[in-house]
Amino acid sequence: MLLYKRRLLRLGYLISTMVVPIVYLVAFGFGLGKSVQLQGTRYLDFLIPGLVSMSSMINSYTWVANSLNLDRLYFKTFQVFIQSPIRPVSILVGEVLASVVKGLLTSVLIIVAGLITSPGFSLTPLFIVALVLNCFLFANLGVITGMLSKSHEDIGTYSNFFILPMAFFGGTFFPVDKAPPLLKAVIYLMPLTHTNILIRKTALDGEALASFVVLVAYAALFLVLGSRIIRKYSE
Amino acid sequence: MIEVKGLTKDYGPIRALNGLSFKIEQGEVFSLLGPNGAGKTTLIKVLTTLSKPESGTAIVNGFDVLEQPIEIKRRVAVVPQENNLDRELTARENLLIYAMLHDVPERDRKISEALETVGLSERRDSVVSHFSGGMQRRLLLGRALLSEPSVLFLDEPSTGLDAQIRRQLWDIIRKTKREGRTVVITTHYIEEAEALSDRVGILSKGNMIALDTPKNLKARVGEYVVEFVNGKGEFIQHMCGSREEAHEIAKGIESAITVRRSNLEDVFINLTGERIE
Repeated sequence: MLLYKRRLLRLGYLISTMVVPIVYLVAFGFGLGKSVQLQGTRYLDFLIPGLVSMSSMINSYTWVANSLNLDRLYFKTFQVFIQSPIRPVSILVGEVLASVVKGLLTSVLIIVAGLITSPGFSLTPLFIVALVLNCFLFANLGVITGMLSKSHEDIGTYSNFFILPMAFFGGTFFPVDKAPPLLKAVIYLMPLTHTNILIRKTALDGEALASFVVLVAYAALFLVLGSRIIRKYSE
Repeated sequence: MIEVKGLTKDYGPIRALNGLSFKIEQGEVFSLLGPNGAGKTTLIKVLTTLSKPESGTAIVNGFDVLEQPIEIKRRVAVVPQENNLDRELTARENLLIYAMLHDVPERDRKISEALETVGLSERRDSVVSHFSGGMQRRLLLGRALLSEPSVLFLDEPSTGLDAQIRRQLWDIIRKTKREGRTVVITTHYIEEAEALSDRVGILSKGNMIALDTPKNLKARVGEYVVEFVNGKGEFIQHMCGSREEAHEIAKGIESAITVRRSNLEDVFINLTGERIE
């Protein structure tokens, strides 16, 4: 919180986290979206929830992955926590919650932009559930990669292999139900795909329930793995 | 008290600690002396539960490092070799976080006392990135003292410090010992080991090759050293048990000679054939 408070006062810090999704919003939403309709709805209305999912994924994951990697390997501030008389799971909870807050904070800004620019966009209970679950899930994944990475370059490698493909193929920019069967199978393994399904639903139908269960399963798996890695940490 | 039996730690194919067994008594200042790579920092990491050994046992104040790590963390504090202060926070904020993690009672008062002890009260609200190296090391020590540990570990505390700051650090360490705490220091400065320690353990390649008071260690190899360059240009050191013996040997040497008291580096060279630095 002390660090966050200090950094939030720096104008660039907050705005920089919004740049990528706002660029996508303008380029795809206002640029491409003017001439594209999806299943009878405006492309902008389809895109905004996807950008919220993608942005919250990237920010929740990246903040904790970078933080743990740098703090553990370079600044050695992680060791201050691990050598304190607190349970290792407390460290996990602290890192995850901080990352969830980061993910939610950047999402709020995009949601506000969406509410201003798109009359068809609205917040539903399922939207909020999907968003929070998404931040939590990817924060835990960030803990895993942050703890396993052996250098700062590794974080980029993990992002390129897992986060980047999800961002583009996980239902952010286009619906995934029309994808070729082989690609579809891979796409439906990605957690972000299920976030994008759930976040666009207005009611808890069968598809929404299935995506919710998948997300909870991924979140639980990443939480257990992250907790185990921190508990067994040894230099 | 710290008791280590058969402690072994490997990093891949490298054996960093090779079956160490020794004791450190409550309230003593114990130095681990040895060159870089001897295993000093690894031993500190095991005793402070940051690293898990492959085999053997280590008991710190009655608690096993593998079975009861949290109990040990409540009772020890570490001044690490690396500066792991948060550079974006102030001195007070760094101590505040530590105090919260260690559940220090009367936090504000203890923080003020810690800053006073290390002479940084006036800089309490300065961001750490503006501190000199010596100030940051003093803050690290103040942070470690905040939790009033039974055992204080200092890993190479004087590295990179000038002589004046080093002396200030030594004064704080002596004060800590007078308060009844056990202090374990790793160092490759023989002057530091000799100035501060009740006993010294000499580590080389993961092995404890000697452990005793500085006086006894030097007596083992000889309290005096006669140094000279022989006719072939070789530097010769001759260890002597007494000043009289040293003078007798010196009489027979024609080239320029130095007769001095032995130090722990002489002990190390005699035991290993290598220099510490």
